[in-house]
Amino acid sequence: MAPQARGGLIVSVVGFFAGIWLFLAPFLVEYQKVGQDWIDATKNDLWTGGALMAISALTLLFFAAFALGDAARAAEQKNTADLEES
Amino acid sequence: MVKYVIGATGALLGALAGAWLMLAPFALAYQSSGADWADPTFVDFWTGLPLLVVSVVGVILYVSGLVEELRRRGIMRRPYAEPAGQPQAQGEPSAAADSGSENNMEQVLLPLVTAMLKDMQERDRGRDETHRETPNNVQKARSAGEEGSVRS
Repeated sequence: MAPQARGGLIVSVVGFFAGIWLFLAPFLVEYQKVGQDWIDATKNDLWTGGALMAISALTLLFFAAFALGDAARAAEQKNTADLEES
Repeated sequence: MVKYVIGATGALLGALAGAWLMLAPFALAYQSSGADWADPTFVDFWTGLPLLVVSVVGVILYVSGLVEELRRRGIMRRPYAEPAGQPQAQGEPSAAADSGSENNMEQVLLPLVTAMLKDMQERDRGRDETHRETPNNVQKARSAGEEGSVRS
């Protein structure tokens, strides 16, 4: 895998964890009391965190899917070339 | 190639989310300007800023990966690549190594080529001499001389 792709994947994983943090932050930092109506900050953090998790997860999923497709195509081409040589 | 486009899009959306997090406390007015920052503002700002920076780095990485892939497939040309046929710049290690190996090869081949040339020249000279001394040729030359004298 190219170093750029590896770095990009790390960034996507960091984004996913940032989403989890945002989702939990109102309750961990305790500016949102459990059982009370959600304040604006809580709503914003939950929506932004959820969106960030979804974006990062989809990015990782599709990246992995297309990377596997590329790898399979490369292996197929190599096999064909080997067969032609032998 | 598509994987890099998807990655860059994801990282760009992450950067936008980071920018939104930094602005949200003021945009949604749960942080009044001038007052001390509340806990939600601290959390949002200090989550948004690193997220923005990391996502911008991600966008750069994915785009550079895409460019590399395009160059590898020959769709994009390297800006510093020299066209074929032109000599490479001096001082580059690969160029120096190539020219060094070429010089070695020339030094090895030079005596061989010189000997071959000498041999060919000697053979040509010998063939010319035998060609001139053949009686048929002498006769032909004579008849040609006579014809020339009749015509004139």
